[in-house]
Amino acid sequence: MTTLLDPGMDLTLRPMRYPEFYERFRAAIRNTWTVEEVDLASDVPDLAKLSPGERHLVHRLVAFFATGDSIVANNLVLNLYQHVNAPEARLYLSRQLFEEAVHVQFYLTLLDTYLPDHEERAKAFAAVEHIPSIRDKAEFCFRWIDSIGSLDRLETRADRRAFLLNLICFAACVEGLFFYGAFAYVYWLRSRGLLPGLATGTNWVFRDESMHMEFAFSVVDTVRAEEPSLFDAELAAQVRTMLDEAVAAELAFARDLCGDGLPGMNTADMRRYLEYVADARLARLGLPPAYGSANPFPFMELQDVQELTNFFERRVSAYQVAVEGTVALDEAF
Amino acid sequence: MTASSTLAPPAADELRDLLHRHHRDLPDTDPGRVLALVESGRTARADAAELTELAISAAAGLIAEEPAYAKLAARLLAARLADETAGQGILRFSDSVAAAYAEGLLDPDFAGFVATHADALDGLVDHAADDAFEYFGLRTVADRYLLRQPTTRAVLERPQHFWLRVATGLSDTVAEAGALYRLMSRLAYLPSSPTLFNAGARHQQLSSCFLVDSPRDELDSIYERYTQIARLSKFAGGIGVSWSRVRSRGSLIRGTNGRSNGIVPWLRTLDASVAAVNQGGRRKGAACVYLDTWHADIEEFLELKDNTGDEARRTHNLNLANWVPDEFMRRVEADAQWSLFDPKEVPELVDLWGDEFDAAYRAAEAAGKAVRTVPARTLYGRMMRTLAQTGNGWMTFKDAANRTCNQVGNGGGVVHHSNLCTEILEVTSDDETAVCTLGSINLAAHLTRNVDGVPDGVDFATLGSTVRLAVGALDRAIDRNWFPTEEAATAHRRWRPLGLGVMGLADVFAALRLPFDSPEALALSTRIAEEIALAGYDASADLAAAKGAHPAYPLTRAAGGVLHPDHWPDARPARPDAWAAVREKIARHGLRNSLLVAIAPTATIASIAGCAECVEPLVSNLFKRETLSGEFLQVNRHLVADLKRLGRWDAATREAIKRADGSVRDLDLPAELTALHRTAWELPQRALIDLAAARAPYVDQSQSLNLFQANPTIGRLSSMYAYAWRAGLKTTYYLRSRPATRITQTTVRRGPLLTPPVEEGPPINNLIALGASDAADAVACSLENPEICEACQ
Repeated sequence: MTTLLDPGMDLTLRPMRYPEFYERFRAAIRNTWTVEEVDLASDVPDLAKLSPGERHLVHRLVAFFATGDSIVANNLVLNLYQHVNAPEARLYLSRQLFEEAVHVQFYLTLLDTYLPDHEERAKAFAAVEHIPSIRDKAEFCFRWIDSIGSLDRLETRADRRAFLLNLICFAACVEGLFFYGAFAYVYWLRSRGLLPGLATGTNWVFRDESMHMEFAFSVVDTVRAEEPSLFDAELAAQVRTMLDEAVAAELAFARDLCGDGLPGMNTADMRRYLEYVADARLARLGLPPAYGSANPFPFMELQDVQELTNFFERRVSAYQVAVEGTVALDEAF
Repeated sequence: MTASSTLAPPAADELRDLLHRHHRDLPDTDPGRVLALVESGRTARADAAELTELAISAAAGLIAEEPAYAKLAARLLAARLADETAGQGILRFSDSVAAAYAEGLLDPDFAGFVATHADALDGLVDHAADDAFEYFGLRTVADRYLLRQPTTRAVLERPQHFWLRVATGLSDTVAEAGALYRLMSRLAYLPSSPTLFNAGARHQQLSSCFLVDSPRDELDSIYERYTQIARLSKFAGGIGVSWSRVRSRGSLIRGTNGRSNGIVPWLRTLDASVAAVNQGGRRKGAACVYLDTWHADIEEFLELKDNTGDEARRTHNLNLANWVPDEFMRRVEADAQWSLFDPKEVPELVDLWGDEFDAAYRAAEAAGKAVRTVPARTLYGRMMRTLAQTGNGWMTFKDAANRTCNQVGNGGGVVHHSNLCTEILEVTSDDETAVCTLGSINLAAHLTRNVDGVPDGVDFATLGSTVRLAVGALDRAIDRNWFPTEEAATAHRRWRPLGLGVMGLADVFAALRLPFDSPEALALSTRIAEEIALAGYDASADLAAAKGAHPAYPLTRAAGGVLHPDHWPDARPARPDAWAAVREKIARHGLRNSLLVAIAPTATIASIAGCAECVEPLVSNLFKRETLSGEFLQVNRHLVADLKRLGRWDAATREAIKRADGSVRDLDLPAELTALHRTAWELPQRALIDLAAARAPYVDQSQSLNLFQANPTIGRLSSMYAYAWRAGLKTTYYLRSRPATRITQTTVRRGPLLTPPVEEGPPINNLIALGASDAADAVACSLENPEICEACQ
């Protein structure tokens, strides 16, 4: 029997080996959103209200967003798509690639709106080279992209473990930690009623990223079921080290963003939050928690529950895009 | 080292003392936890103001764990507001009015009245009533409703000053003001937001809803409507407008010998205009466009809010509603063909309903005037698709609306469409723009209690007197109202319609242990509606005796002896004798108001009152409220009380509720509690429709009835809306559904997931299972009616 990571170009969709991936693909399509639906107009007056410390934080955040999704998209094309050998999984990855592109477009639009000055915009995109806290995170990503860049085929056990580490890195560390860190700043601002446009777009990005991460973990689950021997103590130790490095990089970013602290947001709380999130990723991978921190941010709880009322325009993205069935007059409802 | 010892004195000491003082009668709050959160969130340079703000948000952040923190946070905020006003020398109500008048915020006559009666009015104020507020309600009042100094933004009134200002603004005497103030300060009745914003203000625009007749089929009329709508939007009104008179795509334009592009380009302009009026204002303009189902542009109309396709044919700021004739629904049932017309060829259809419409429609078909013919079910299916994809494209029923409307009497008036929230049904014409001023009774504040303090019924006597006070206040508002356009003023003075609604029905059901789909709930809800209608008619007839019937009274059905419940011959009123007495009074004096009852969404005022929205079930037992100051988590307090009784209110339970997306289904509670606390997503929608249909005889306008389908299909929706039509509903509102994918919950722990999800059942269910285990989310029910919340409440 062939496994998911066996090299090749499987084209067979019937019978389908991994229907779950196909369902994820369909679910993603039903939640299509476009950048034009996000109303950034009310953010501009908010920007003027921010304190210098808060403005610094927002600018840094925007600079991170400017390049973050592009890095993920690159890894997806260069590394993941090639090696996950099931057409239904590749359908999902194609969809994910589209979503990453929408995110890139969203943050580009955001940046154009937030930074009217053309030089500032150029600087934001150059942050990945010049701002140490952003550069370090990017380098962490590049290291893991390069780690399997020379692999054309996953022939050996070592190849497959290298692939798994790349996959786990992008799911648990990049999408699952760096992005989750960034989202926390946005929700902190939103919890104070600031920058609703950024929050709306981020909500939708967050929803997509959650699904990307879950897809990647579900690939990990599949590989684990097919080749349990790949998951040994050594891999576990490597994952631990990788997460430690990611937390350290994200914490350096937090130090840069928060300075000596802002009301309701500071480096110490951010560290607890990142550790809390990192433990959640370890648990998802079946590994024991490494940090034992509790979530310090009550506002992160807010994104876990339904909204009741809002004053900001919400658009069709709360609804489903593809609806099935035909007219009937006697179905149960 | 304790948390408080590291705070900089003396501000920290003061805060600690304050928290301990409140702890005495809020024993479930823990001052130490609040102080620890303040300590961890503060900056090194924190001053007293920052510490207070942090303490308020720390307490607010703990509400989801222990609802008592909602009271604590509210008290901290109330104390801050008291300090802020006292710091400007504002102590009494009359001080606050004088200060706001000096800033140019208030009407001179109003300020004069207050100055003349200063002592009597000041004596009415009871600041202890602040304790009726939960945090979210007070925060909303503080952020959005209290008058502020224009440049410093310092608040110029305390919450009780605000209530008294609104009450006085709606009253002719101190006694009236006092009665209304007491009602509002105990959150038993609240006027809608435009009234709360503008009572006593320089422009007293108190109305929520405006219904603008379709432009005539000519350029000048279309542009006149843009202007009218822009003026109405500027002053915080929500707009319902029809576009059914405007010719469809391909229609010949005689003046140029060209062909029309149909209604979509005009609606694009309306979209841009509505969006433009927002800018710099307090909120966005909001409008809903209605289209008759026979209009030949109906298919393009249904695509206006799609997020794919040609942006040049999309209107993201407009809401959409279908104005559906019975003939269409009959043809859907019969699986027959449906003809689409260009209104230029059949201009008479817009103004006809019932048998006359049916005859004219068939005659037009027979004459070969149809632009094209489609299977009725195909079009109906497209309507359902729009509902599922956008929540919009509300189904409202033209014939039921006209058959039962008191204004459609012998004057030839026709109801052409509803408003932004589908609860107002009034006649319109080219020179009459219908207007409605709203207010809602908080049913949760009208419960009787047994000797142990346990709610045991609805206090109908108090409810009746609340209705009388509310009708008086709404009626006086008509005379004080400032109208943005002449068309609105004309109509409003002729018809004097009121929109008295309710909120907190779900709280009543929960307090009395009645599941939404129980026969007892249906009976009680109907009885409440009957009592409101009865007391409302009685009060309006009394007003007519004192001040005269409304000028258009002779044109109404009531003048011919037909009251709204008469349109439901099967309805069995609980109080036939009282109805007979009211009929007699009406026969003698007429009515001061052509319409009385409309159940509006109440989003904003329900949150001020801390009760459930209008007649709706809760969408979740754990939900988020948004304000300008940020978001807050709230828990269904009835559920918390039940869980505390069971000793089950702990972190594990909270997580299980969160994981189940606000449902209690996984908690393994006693069956009656699981049934009682089902969310809107879990209730059979048939029950919501049955409740609405049963109260319909007593709602002479209509109801903003939302329906819920987590995962809609065309088959389920088409069955549901056909049922609603057959049940005789005049209107429905949003279809709420949920996104197909979710954000992974950050604050919910899940165990290692080593086994891939098992596939069972059809793929679509499997997907939900995935979503649920992957975690529910934040966006789940993004209610799309923010602006409406404000306009229509």
